[in-house]
Amino acid sequence: MKRTFVTDINKIKYEVNTEVARLAFAGELDEKANEIPYKLIPGRSAQYRCCVYKEREIIRERVQLAMGRAAVPSRKQKNIVQVIEAACEGCPINRFNVTNNCQMCMAKKCLGACNFGAIKFEGGHAVIDHKKCKECGKCAEACPYNAIADLMRPCKRSCPVDAITMDEDNIVDINDEKCINCGQCVINCPFGALSDRSFMVDIIKLINSGASVYAMVAPAIEGQFGADVSVGMIREAIIKLGFKDMYEVSLGADFVSKHEGEELIEHYEAGEKMTTSCCPAFVSLIKKHFPQVLKNMSTTVSPMTATGRIIKAMYPDAICVFIGPCIAKKSEVIDSITFGGADYAMTYEELASMFEARDIDPADCTEDLQQGSKYGKQYSISGGVTAAVLQTFKEANKEVDLKVKTCSGALECKKALMMLKVGKLPEDFIEGMACVGGCVNGPAMINKERTFMKDRNAQIAKADDRGVLENVAQYDELNIDMVRTKQ
Amino acid sequence: MTITICIGSSCHLKGSRTIIQKLGELIAARQLNDKIELNGSFCMGECANGVCVKINEELFGVSPDSVESFFETEVLRRL
Repeated sequence: MKRTFVTDINKIKYEVNTEVARLAFAGELDEKANEIPYKLIPGRSAQYRCCVYKEREIIRERVQLAMGRAAVPSRKQKNIVQVIEAACEGCPINRFNVTNNCQMCMAKKCLGACNFGAIKFEGGHAVIDHKKCKECGKCAEACPYNAIADLMRPCKRSCPVDAITMDEDNIVDINDEKCINCGQCVINCPFGALSDRSFMVDIIKLINSGASVYAMVAPAIEGQFGADVSVGMIREAIIKLGFKDMYEVSLGADFVSKHEGEELIEHYEAGEKMTTSCCPAFVSLIKKHFPQVLKNMSTTVSPMTATGRIIKAMYPDAICVFIGPCIAKKSEVIDSITFGGADYAMTYEELASMFEARDIDPADCTEDLQQGSKYGKQYSISGGVTAAVLQTFKEANKEVDLKVKTCSGALECKKALMMLKVGKLPEDFIEGMACVGGCVNGPAMINKERTFMKDRNAQIAKADDRGVLENVAQYDELNIDMVRTKQ
Repeated sequence: MTITICIGSSCHLKGSRTIIQKLGELIAARQLNDKIELNGSFCMGECANGVCVKINEELFGVSPDSVESFFETEVLRRL
Protein backbone atom coordinates (compact mmCIF):
# COMPACT_ATOMS: atom_id res chain seq x y z
CA MET A 1 0.00 0.00 0.00
CA LYS A 2 1.09 3.59 -0.54
CA ARG A 3 2.22 5.42 2.56
CA THR A 4 2.88 9.05 3.23
CA PHE A 5 5.61 10.05 5.64
CA VAL A 6 6.10 13.15 7.77
CA THR A 7 9.73 13.42 6.67
CA ASP A 8 12.21 11.46 4.57
CA ILE A 9 13.75 10.27 7.84
CA ASN A 10 10.55 8.34 8.67
CA LYS A 11 10.54 6.97 5.12
CA ILE A 12 14.13 5.73 5.36
CA LYS A 13 13.47 4.11 8.74
CA TYR A 14 10.43 2.39 7.24
CA GLU A 15 12.39 1.17 4.21
CA VAL A 16 15.21 -0.21 6.36
CA ASN A 17 12.77 -1.97 8.70
CA THR A 18 10.89 -3.39 5.71
CA GLU A 19 14.04 -4.82 4.11
CA VAL A 20 15.16 -6.31 7.44
CA ALA A 21 11.69 -7.80 8.02
CA ARG A 22 11.61 -9.25 4.50
CA LEU A 23 14.97 -11.01 4.95
CA ALA A 24 14.05 -12.16 8.48
CA PHE A 25 10.78 -13.72 7.27
CA ALA A 26 12.75 -15.49 4.51
CA GLY A 27 15.39 -16.67 6.99
CA GLU A 28 18.13 -14.94 4.97
CA LEU A 29 18.95 -12.03 7.25
CA ASP A 30 22.36 -13.17 8.48
CA GLU A 31 23.69 -13.71 4.95
CA LYS A 32 22.08 -10.75 3.23
CA ALA A 33 21.88 -7.92 5.80
CA ASN A 34 25.03 -6.39 4.30
CA GLU A 35 23.28 -5.98 0.95
CA ILE A 36 20.59 -3.64 2.31
CA PRO A 37 22.67 -0.41 2.13
CA TYR A 38 23.41 -1.09 -1.57
CA LYS A 39 19.81 -1.90 -2.33
CA LEU A 40 18.46 1.27 -0.70
CA ILE A 41 21.27 3.59 -1.87
CA PRO A 42 22.16 2.48 -5.40
CA GLY A 43 24.38 4.31 -7.91
CA ARG A 44 26.92 7.04 -7.36
CA SER A 45 25.02 10.22 -6.54
CA ALA A 46 24.08 11.07 -2.99
CA GLN A 47 20.68 12.55 -2.22
CA TYR A 48 21.08 13.86 1.32
CA ARG A 49 24.73 13.68 2.37
CA CYS A 50 28.20 14.30 1.03
CA CYS A 51 28.47 10.93 -0.75
CA VAL A 52 26.75 7.58 -1.19
CA TYR A 53 29.32 5.94 1.10
CA LYS A 54 28.18 8.02 4.05
CA GLU A 55 24.53 7.38 3.18
CA ARG A 56 25.21 3.64 3.05
CA GLU A 57 27.01 3.74 6.39
CA ILE A 58 23.94 5.40 7.92
CA ILE A 59 21.73 2.67 6.44
CA ARG A 60 24.14 0.05 7.78
CA GLU A 61 23.87 1.48 11.30
CA ARG A 62 20.08 1.62 10.96
CA VAL A 63 20.09 -2.06 9.93
CA GLN A 64 21.97 -2.83 13.16
CA LEU A 65 19.27 -1.06 15.19
CA ALA A 66 16.51 -2.85 13.28
CA MET A 67 18.25 -6.14 14.17
CA GLY A 68 18.23 -5.19 17.86
CA ARG A 69 21.92 -4.38 18.10
CA ALA A 70 23.70 -1.20 19.13
CA ALA A 71 24.16 1.12 16.12
CA VAL A 72 27.93 1.20 16.63
CA PRO A 73 29.68 -1.49 18.71
CA SER A 74 31.65 0.98 20.83
CA ARG A 75 28.50 2.79 21.91
CA LYS A 76 26.74 1.89 25.13
CA GLN A 77 24.66 -1.20 24.68
CA LYS A 78 21.72 -0.86 27.00
CA ASN A 79 19.71 2.17 25.99
CA ILE A 80 16.75 1.80 23.61
CA VAL A 81 17.34 5.18 21.98
CA GLN A 82 20.72 5.09 20.28
CA VAL A 83 22.94 7.47 18.36
CA ILE A 84 23.52 6.80 14.66
CA GLU A 85 26.99 8.35 14.65
CA ALA A 86 27.37 8.67 10.91
CA ALA A 87 24.07 10.55 10.68
CA CYS A 88 24.92 13.19 13.31
CA GLU A 89 25.96 16.44 11.66
CA GLY A 90 27.49 17.85 14.85
CA CYS A 91 25.28 20.96 14.61
CA PRO A 92 26.74 24.34 15.69
CA ILE A 93 27.49 23.97 19.31
CA ASN A 94 27.53 27.66 20.29
CA ARG A 95 23.99 28.22 21.39
CA PHE A 96 23.59 32.01 20.96
CA ASN A 97 24.78 33.83 17.87
CA VAL A 98 24.31 37.39 16.62
CA THR A 99 22.67 37.51 13.18
CA ASN A 100 22.70 40.15 10.42
CA ASN A 101 19.63 41.71 12.02
CA CYS A 102 21.93 43.50 14.47
CA GLN A 103 21.51 47.25 13.82
CA MET A 104 24.46 48.33 15.96
CA CYS A 105 21.92 50.42 17.88
CA MET A 106 22.67 52.99 20.53
CA ALA A 107 20.82 51.32 23.37
CA LYS A 108 22.98 48.15 23.25
CA LYS A 109 20.56 46.34 25.52
CA CYS A 110 22.39 43.07 24.85
CA LEU A 111 25.49 44.49 26.47
CA GLY A 112 23.54 45.62 29.51
CA ALA A 113 21.71 42.31 29.78
CA CYS A 114 24.84 40.14 29.79
CA ASN A 115 26.12 39.40 33.28
CA PHE A 116 29.26 37.69 32.04
CA GLY A 117 30.90 40.29 29.84
CA ALA A 118 30.46 38.11 26.77
CA ILE A 119 29.18 40.82 24.39
CA LYS A 120 31.69 42.70 22.24
CA PHE A 121 31.27 44.99 19.25
CA GLU A 122 33.36 44.23 16.18
CA GLY A 123 32.95 44.73 12.44
CA GLY A 124 29.75 46.78 12.71
CA HIS A 125 27.72 44.43 14.90
CA ALA A 126 27.61 42.72 18.26
CA VAL A 127 29.62 39.53 18.74
CA ILE A 128 29.33 36.93 21.47
CA ASP A 129 32.52 35.69 23.07
CA HIS A 130 31.68 32.03 23.38
CA LYS A 131 34.39 31.43 25.94
CA LYS A 132 32.54 33.73 28.35
CA CYS A 133 28.93 33.00 27.30
CA LYS A 134 26.95 30.97 29.86
CA GLU A 135 24.01 30.48 27.50
CA CYS A 136 21.55 32.24 29.84
CA GLY A 137 19.71 33.84 26.90
CA LYS A 138 19.32 37.28 28.52
CA CYS A 139 20.88 39.04 25.48
CA ALA A 140 18.45 37.36 23.07
CA GLU A 141 15.52 38.42 25.27
CA ALA A 142 16.81 41.98 25.50
CA CYS A 143 17.44 42.64 21.78
CA PRO A 144 14.60 44.76 20.32
CA TYR A 145 15.39 43.46 16.80
CA ASN A 146 15.42 39.73 17.68
CA ALA A 147 18.91 39.76 16.25
CA ILE A 148 20.31 37.07 18.55
CA ALA A 149 19.39 33.56 17.46
CA ASP A 150 19.00 30.68 19.88
CA LEU A 151 20.59 27.78 18.05
CA MET A 152 20.32 25.13 20.72
CA ARG A 153 20.75 21.79 19.06
CA PRO A 154 17.33 20.32 18.31
CA CYS A 155 18.16 17.04 20.08
CA LYS A 156 19.22 18.86 23.23
CA ARG A 157 16.26 21.23 23.08
CA SER A 158 13.80 18.35 22.73
CA CYS A 159 15.16 16.35 25.67
CA PRO A 160 13.01 16.92 28.79
CA VAL A 161 15.56 15.42 31.19
CA ASP A 162 18.82 16.98 30.01
CA ALA A 163 20.24 13.60 28.99
CA ILE A 164 21.92 14.86 25.82
CA THR A 165 25.51 16.05 25.68
CA MET A 166 28.13 16.31 22.92
CA ASP A 167 31.38 14.42 22.70
CA GLU A 168 34.70 16.04 21.77
CA ASP A 169 33.82 15.80 18.06
CA ASN A 170 30.43 17.50 18.63
CA ILE A 171 28.65 14.21 18.03
CA VAL A 172 25.57 13.68 20.18
CA ASP A 173 25.85 11.45 23.24
CA ILE A 174 23.03 10.10 25.44
CA ASN A 175 23.46 9.76 29.17
CA ASP A 176 21.51 6.57 29.75
CA GLU A 177 21.43 7.15 33.51
CA LYS A 178 19.20 10.14 32.76
CA CYS A 179 17.45 9.05 29.52
CA ILE A 180 13.80 8.01 29.92
CA ASN A 181 13.55 6.75 26.30
CA CYS A 182 10.63 9.08 25.59
CA GLY A 183 11.74 9.35 21.95
CA GLN A 184 11.52 13.14 21.65
CA CYS A 185 15.07 13.41 20.27
CA VAL A 186 14.25 10.69 17.73
CA ILE A 187 11.45 12.77 16.21
CA ASN A 188 13.19 16.11 16.62
CA CYS A 189 16.66 15.54 15.14
CA PRO A 190 16.43 17.00 11.60
CA PHE A 191 19.16 14.61 10.41
CA GLY A 192 17.67 11.46 11.88
CA ALA A 193 20.73 10.80 14.03
CA LEU A 194 18.80 9.16 16.87
CA SER A 195 16.69 6.07 16.60
CA ASP A 196 15.35 3.14 18.58
CA ARG A 197 16.55 -0.48 18.74
CA SER A 198 14.08 -3.10 17.64
CA PHE A 199 12.86 -6.50 18.79
CA MET A 200 11.26 -7.03 15.35
CA VAL A 201 13.73 -9.68 14.17
CA ASP A 202 13.39 -11.66 17.41
CA ILE A 203 9.62 -11.59 16.98
CA ILE A 204 9.81 -12.72 13.33
CA LYS A 205 12.23 -15.53 14.26
CA LEU A 206 9.82 -16.73 16.96
CA ILE A 207 6.91 -16.61 14.50
CA ASN A 208 9.01 -18.59 12.01
CA SER A 209 9.83 -21.15 14.72
CA GLY A 210 6.12 -21.93 15.08
CA ALA A 211 5.87 -20.54 18.61
CA SER A 212 2.52 -19.10 19.82
CA VAL A 213 3.15 -15.39 19.44
CA TYR A 214 0.29 -13.10 20.46
CA ALA A 215 0.05 -9.43 19.48
CA MET A 216 -1.31 -6.80 21.87
CA VAL A 217 -2.14 -3.51 20.18
CA ALA A 218 -2.04 -0.29 22.17
CA PRO A 219 -5.17 1.87 22.39
CA ALA A 220 -3.79 4.42 19.90
CA ILE A 221 -4.42 1.89 17.12
CA GLU A 222 -7.74 3.18 15.73
CA GLY A 223 -7.05 5.15 12.55
CA GLN A 224 -3.38 4.17 12.35
CA PHE A 225 -3.76 2.14 9.17
CA GLY A 226 -6.35 4.36 7.46
CA ALA A 227 -9.71 5.99 8.14
CA ASP A 228 -11.71 2.85 7.39
CA VAL A 229 -9.34 0.24 8.80
CA SER A 230 -10.85 -1.04 12.04
CA VAL A 231 -9.24 -2.94 14.92
CA GLY A 232 -10.86 -6.15 13.65
CA MET A 233 -9.30 -5.71 10.24
CA ILE A 234 -5.90 -5.09 11.81
CA ARG A 235 -6.31 -8.27 13.86
CA GLU A 236 -7.00 -10.26 10.70
CA ALA A 237 -3.90 -8.78 9.03
CA ILE A 238 -1.77 -9.49 12.12
CA ILE A 239 -2.89 -13.13 12.09
CA LYS A 240 -1.88 -13.29 8.41
CA LEU A 241 1.61 -12.23 9.52
CA GLY A 242 1.84 -15.41 11.57
CA PHE A 243 0.73 -14.22 15.00
CA LYS A 244 -1.57 -16.66 16.78
CA ASP A 245 -4.05 -13.92 17.69
CA MET A 246 -4.33 -10.27 18.65
CA TYR A 247 -5.71 -8.63 21.77
CA GLU A 248 -6.52 -5.01 22.46
CA VAL A 249 -4.49 -3.42 25.24
CA SER A 250 -7.60 -1.32 25.94
CA LEU A 251 -8.90 -4.51 27.58
CA GLY A 252 -5.96 -4.50 30.01
CA ALA A 253 -6.59 -0.76 30.41
CA ASP A 254 -10.09 -1.51 31.74
CA PHE A 255 -8.52 -3.79 34.37
CA VAL A 256 -6.11 -0.98 35.26
CA SER A 257 -8.96 1.56 35.61
CA LYS A 258 -10.73 -0.70 38.08
CA HIS A 259 -7.65 -1.53 40.16
CA GLU A 260 -6.15 1.94 40.06
CA GLY A 261 -9.54 3.36 41.13
CA GLU A 262 -9.61 1.09 44.19
CA GLU A 263 -6.03 2.01 44.99
CA LEU A 264 -6.78 5.71 44.57
CA ILE A 265 -9.63 5.57 47.09
CA GLU A 266 -7.32 3.90 49.64
CA HIS A 267 -4.70 6.61 49.09
CA TYR A 268 -7.31 9.37 49.23
CA GLU A 269 -8.81 8.09 52.47
CA ALA A 270 -5.33 7.86 53.98
CA GLY A 271 -4.68 11.47 52.92
CA GLU A 272 -2.04 10.50 50.36
CA LYS A 273 -1.64 11.56 46.75
CA MET A 274 -1.21 9.10 43.90
CA THR A 275 0.20 9.18 40.38
CA THR A 276 -0.62 6.93 37.43
CA SER A 277 1.87 4.28 36.31
CA CYS A 278 0.85 3.39 32.75
CA CYS A 279 3.21 5.64 30.75
CA PRO A 280 6.67 4.02 30.83
CA ALA A 281 8.54 7.29 30.22
CA PHE A 282 6.61 8.88 33.13
CA VAL A 283 7.51 5.89 35.34
CA SER A 284 11.19 6.26 34.32
CA LEU A 285 10.96 10.00 35.00
CA ILE A 286 9.86 9.23 38.56
CA LYS A 287 12.40 6.43 39.10
CA LYS A 288 15.39 8.31 37.67
CA HIS A 289 14.63 11.93 38.50
CA PHE A 290 12.08 12.02 41.34
CA PRO A 291 12.74 8.87 43.41
CA GLN A 292 11.35 10.68 46.47
CA VAL A 293 7.81 10.41 45.05
CA LEU A 294 8.06 6.72 44.12
CA LYS A 295 5.93 5.97 47.19
CA ASN A 296 3.11 7.97 45.55
CA MET A 297 3.21 6.01 42.30
CA SER A 298 0.38 3.57 41.70
CA THR A 299 1.44 -0.04 42.23
CA THR A 300 -1.01 -1.16 39.53
CA VAL A 301 0.65 -2.78 36.51
CA SER A 302 0.50 -1.04 33.14
CA PRO A 303 -2.24 -1.94 30.64
CA MET A 304 0.49 -3.73 28.64
CA THR A 305 1.39 -6.01 31.56
CA ALA A 306 -2.29 -6.52 32.43
CA THR A 307 -3.11 -7.60 28.87
CA GLY A 308 -0.09 -9.94 28.81
CA ARG A 309 -1.22 -11.52 32.10
CA ILE A 310 -4.75 -11.98 30.74
CA ILE A 311 -3.43 -13.73 27.60
CA LYS A 312 -1.03 -15.92 29.62
CA ALA A 313 -3.82 -16.86 32.06
CA MET A 314 -5.68 -18.30 29.07
CA TYR A 315 -2.67 -19.58 27.09
CA PRO A 316 0.32 -20.24 29.37
CA ASP A 317 2.73 -20.78 26.46
CA ALA A 318 1.87 -17.48 24.81
CA ILE A 319 4.66 -15.11 23.84
CA CYS A 320 3.14 -11.64 24.21
CA VAL A 321 4.23 -8.78 21.96
CA PHE A 322 3.08 -5.25 22.68
CA ILE A 323 2.63 -3.11 19.55
CA GLY A 324 2.24 0.62 20.07
CA PRO A 325 3.27 4.17 19.19
CA CYS A 326 5.83 4.17 21.98
CA ILE A 327 9.58 3.72 22.15
CA ALA A 328 9.73 3.71 25.96
CA LYS A 329 7.58 0.55 26.11
CA LYS A 330 10.65 -1.37 24.91
CA SER A 331 12.49 -0.29 28.05
CA GLU A 332 9.45 -1.18 30.16
CA VAL A 333 9.67 -4.73 28.78
CA ILE A 334 13.35 -4.94 29.73
CA ASP A 335 12.71 -3.51 33.21
CA SER A 336 9.68 -5.69 33.93
CA ILE A 337 10.76 -9.17 32.82
CA THR A 338 9.65 -10.60 36.15
CA PHE A 339 6.09 -9.25 35.79
CA GLY A 340 4.89 -12.06 33.54
CA GLY A 341 3.27 -9.61 31.11
CA ALA A 342 4.78 -8.62 27.77
CA ASP A 343 7.76 -10.55 26.42
CA TYR A 344 8.56 -8.03 23.67
CA ALA A 345 7.48 -4.59 22.50
CA MET A 346 7.49 -3.16 19.02
CA THR A 347 6.04 -0.12 17.29
CA TYR A 348 3.36 0.71 14.73
CA GLU A 349 6.21 1.74 12.41
CA GLU A 350 7.69 -1.74 12.66
CA LEU A 351 4.27 -3.39 12.26
CA ALA A 352 3.71 -1.38 9.05
CA SER A 353 7.10 -2.61 7.77
CA MET A 354 6.17 -6.21 8.57
CA PHE A 355 2.90 -5.81 6.62
CA GLU A 356 4.83 -4.34 3.68
CA ALA A 357 7.43 -7.13 3.80
CA ARG A 358 4.70 -9.77 3.55
CA ASP A 359 2.58 -7.73 1.13
CA ILE A 360 -0.38 -7.67 3.53
CA ASP A 361 -2.75 -4.70 3.58
CA PRO A 362 -5.17 -4.45 6.53
CA ALA A 363 -7.51 -2.47 4.25
CA ASP A 364 -8.22 -5.74 2.39
CA CYS A 365 -9.52 -7.38 5.61
CA THR A 366 -13.12 -7.41 6.81
CA GLU A 367 -13.38 -8.72 10.37
CA ASP A 368 -14.78 -6.88 13.37
CA LEU A 369 -13.62 -6.82 16.99
CA GLN A 370 -14.07 -4.96 20.26
CA GLN A 371 -12.45 -6.07 23.50
CA GLY A 372 -11.86 -2.83 25.40
CA SER A 373 -14.47 -0.30 26.50
CA LYS A 374 -14.50 3.18 24.99
CA TYR A 375 -12.82 4.34 28.20
CA GLY A 376 -9.99 1.85 27.76
CA LYS A 377 -9.58 2.98 24.17
CA GLN A 378 -9.15 6.57 25.33
CA TYR A 379 -6.14 5.70 27.51
CA SER A 380 -4.10 6.96 24.58
CA ILE A 381 -5.18 10.59 24.92
CA SER A 382 -4.26 13.04 27.64
CA GLY A 383 -6.97 12.95 30.32
CA GLY A 384 -8.17 9.54 29.18
CA VAL A 385 -6.77 7.55 32.10
CA THR A 386 -8.30 9.99 34.60
CA ALA A 387 -11.66 9.85 32.82
CA ALA A 388 -11.63 6.04 32.90
CA VAL A 389 -10.72 5.85 36.60
CA LEU A 390 -13.47 8.35 37.49
CA GLN A 391 -15.88 6.35 35.33
CA THR A 392 -15.31 3.28 37.53
CA PHE A 393 -16.46 5.35 40.55
CA LYS A 394 -19.57 6.39 38.66
CA GLU A 395 -20.35 2.80 37.63
CA ALA A 396 -19.96 1.65 41.25
CA ASN A 397 -22.13 4.58 42.49
CA LYS A 398 -19.31 5.91 44.63
CA GLU A 399 -19.19 9.59 45.45
CA VAL A 400 -15.56 10.59 45.48
CA ASP A 401 -14.73 14.26 45.59
CA LEU A 402 -11.08 14.44 44.62
CA LYS A 403 -9.02 16.86 42.62
CA VAL A 404 -7.21 15.60 39.54
CA LYS A 405 -4.25 16.89 37.55
CA THR A 406 -3.62 15.73 34.01
CA CYS A 407 -0.07 16.35 32.79
CA SER A 408 0.28 16.38 29.03
CA GLY A 409 3.92 16.05 28.01
CA ALA A 410 7.09 15.50 29.99
CA LEU A 411 7.51 19.16 30.93
CA GLU A 412 4.11 19.32 32.63
CA CYS A 413 4.87 15.98 34.31
CA LYS A 414 8.12 17.39 35.65
CA LYS A 415 6.41 20.49 37.06
CA ALA A 416 3.76 18.43 38.86
CA LEU A 417 6.32 15.95 40.23
CA MET A 418 8.44 18.82 41.50
CA MET A 419 5.42 20.24 43.34
CA LEU A 420 4.53 16.80 44.66
CA LYS A 421 8.09 16.29 45.89
CA VAL A 422 8.01 19.47 47.96
CA GLY A 423 4.47 18.79 49.18
CA LYS A 424 2.86 21.72 47.38
CA LEU A 425 0.71 19.96 44.80
CA PRO A 426 -2.97 20.68 45.54
CA GLU A 427 -4.38 17.80 43.47
CA ASP A 428 -4.93 14.24 44.77
CA PHE A 429 -4.50 12.24 41.56
CA ILE A 430 -1.80 12.94 38.96
CA GLU A 431 -2.05 11.50 35.47
CA GLY A 432 1.32 11.61 33.73
CA MET A 433 1.88 11.16 30.00
CA ALA A 434 5.29 11.97 28.55
CA CYS A 435 3.98 12.77 25.07
CA VAL A 436 2.06 16.02 24.63
CA GLY A 437 -1.58 15.07 24.01
CA GLY A 438 -0.94 11.45 25.02
CA CYS A 439 0.11 8.29 23.17
CA VAL A 440 -1.67 9.44 19.99
CA ASN A 441 1.32 11.75 19.54
CA GLY A 442 3.80 8.99 20.27
CA PRO A 443 7.15 8.98 18.48
CA ALA A 444 6.46 5.75 16.57
CA MET A 445 3.02 6.52 15.13
CA ILE A 446 2.84 5.53 11.47
CA ASN A 447 -0.07 7.80 10.56
CA LYS A 448 0.53 11.41 11.55
CA GLU A 449 -1.79 12.96 9.01
CA ARG A 450 -4.00 15.85 10.01
CA THR A 451 -7.14 13.76 9.62
CA PHE A 452 -5.87 11.09 12.01
CA MET A 453 -7.69 12.26 15.16
CA LYS A 454 -10.93 12.73 13.21
CA ASP A 455 -10.67 9.23 11.71
CA ARG A 456 -9.83 7.76 15.08
CA ASN A 457 -12.73 9.46 16.86
CA ALA A 458 -15.14 8.35 14.13
CA GLN A 459 -14.03 4.73 14.66
CA ILE A 460 -14.28 4.90 18.45
CA ALA A 461 -17.76 6.43 18.15
CA LYS A 462 -18.85 3.15 16.52
CA ALA A 463 -17.72 1.05 19.51
CA ASP A 464 -20.39 -0.16 21.94
CA ASP A 465 -20.99 1.53 25.28
CA ARG A 466 -20.05 -1.33 27.59
CA GLY A 467 -19.07 -0.26 31.09
CA VAL A 468 -15.51 -0.63 32.38
CA LEU A 469 -16.46 -2.79 35.37
CA GLU A 470 -18.90 -4.86 33.32
CA ASN A 471 -16.13 -5.55 30.79
CA VAL A 472 -13.63 -6.61 33.48
CA ALA A 473 -16.23 -8.82 35.20
CA GLN A 474 -16.34 -11.06 32.11
CA TYR A 475 -12.83 -12.25 32.99
CA ASP A 476 -13.33 -12.63 36.77
CA GLU A 477 -12.57 -16.34 36.76
CA LEU A 478 -9.04 -15.69 35.44
CA ASN A 479 -8.16 -13.97 38.74
CA ILE A 480 -5.67 -11.56 37.19
CA ASP A 481 -3.17 -10.14 39.68
CA MET A 482 -2.92 -6.41 39.04
CA VAL A 483 -0.02 -5.48 41.32
CA ARG A 484 3.58 -4.87 40.25
CA THR A 485 5.91 -7.41 41.80
CA LYS A 486 8.68 -6.19 44.06
CA GLN A 487 11.32 -6.35 41.31
CA MET B 1 23.81 -6.59 42.06
CA THR B 2 22.18 -6.62 38.65
CA ILE B 3 21.47 -9.87 36.85
CA THR B 4 20.72 -9.34 33.16
CA ILE B 5 19.02 -12.09 31.19
CA CYS B 6 19.05 -12.10 27.39
CA ILE B 7 15.50 -12.15 26.01
CA GLY B 8 16.49 -12.44 22.34
CA SER B 9 14.67 -15.08 20.27
CA SER B 10 17.41 -17.70 20.51
CA CYS B 11 17.66 -17.48 24.30
CA HIS B 12 13.88 -17.33 24.52
CA LEU B 13 13.63 -20.67 22.74
CA LYS B 14 16.30 -22.11 25.06
CA GLY B 15 14.21 -21.16 28.09
CA SER B 16 15.09 -17.62 29.19
CA ARG B 17 11.54 -17.17 30.50
CA THR B 18 11.87 -20.21 32.79
CA ILE B 19 15.22 -18.91 34.01
CA ILE B 20 13.73 -15.50 34.82
CA GLN B 21 10.89 -17.14 36.71
CA LYS B 22 13.19 -19.49 38.67
CA LEU B 23 15.66 -16.75 39.53
CA GLY B 24 12.74 -14.59 40.70
CA GLU B 25 11.56 -17.40 42.96
CA LEU B 26 15.06 -18.11 44.33
CA ILE B 27 15.58 -14.41 45.06
CA ALA B 28 12.18 -14.08 46.73
CA ALA B 29 12.73 -17.25 48.81
CA ARG B 30 15.93 -15.79 50.25
CA GLN B 31 14.43 -12.32 50.57
CA LEU B 32 17.13 -10.81 48.42
CA ASN B 33 14.78 -8.56 46.43
CA ASP B 34 16.49 -5.44 47.71
CA LYS B 35 19.95 -6.73 46.82
CA ILE B 36 19.43 -8.26 43.38
CA GLU B 37 17.80 -6.57 40.41
CA LEU B 38 16.63 -8.66 37.46
CA ASN B 39 16.70 -7.04 34.04
CA GLY B 40 16.19 -8.14 30.47
CA SER B 41 18.44 -7.37 27.54
CA PHE B 42 18.51 -7.40 23.77
CA CYS B 43 20.48 -10.24 22.14
CA MET B 44 24.00 -10.31 23.61
CA GLY B 45 25.46 -11.84 20.45
CA GLU B 46 26.54 -15.05 22.20
CA CYS B 47 23.61 -17.18 21.06
CA ALA B 48 25.66 -20.42 20.89
CA ASN B 49 26.37 -20.24 24.64
CA GLY B 50 22.83 -19.23 25.64
CA VAL B 51 20.83 -18.65 27.65
CA CYS B 52 23.09 -15.64 28.19
CA VAL B 53 23.01 -14.28 31.73
CA LYS B 54 25.21 -11.49 33.06
CA ILE B 55 26.04 -10.85 36.69
CA ASN B 56 26.87 -7.16 36.47
CA GLU B 57 29.20 -7.27 33.41
CA GLU B 58 30.32 -10.92 33.69
CA LEU B 59 28.78 -13.29 31.13
CA PHE B 60 27.53 -16.84 31.89
CA GLY B 61 25.72 -19.51 29.90
CA VAL B 62 22.80 -20.90 31.92
CA SER B 63 20.16 -23.49 31.09
CA PRO B 64 16.79 -23.99 32.80
CA ASP B 65 18.27 -27.10 34.50
CA SER B 66 21.33 -25.32 35.81
CA VAL B 67 19.63 -22.25 37.30
CA GLU B 68 19.77 -23.49 40.90
CA SER B 69 23.45 -24.39 40.77
CA PHE B 70 24.21 -21.11 38.96
CA PHE B 71 22.38 -19.24 41.72
CA GLU B 72 24.12 -21.17 44.54
CA THR B 73 27.65 -21.06 43.13
CA GLU B 74 27.85 -17.83 41.14
CA VAL B 75 25.19 -15.43 42.42
CA LEU B 76 25.28 -16.01 46.19
CA ARG B 77 29.05 -15.88 46.57
CA ARG B 78 29.18 -12.50 44.80
CA LEU B 79 26.72 -10.83 47.16
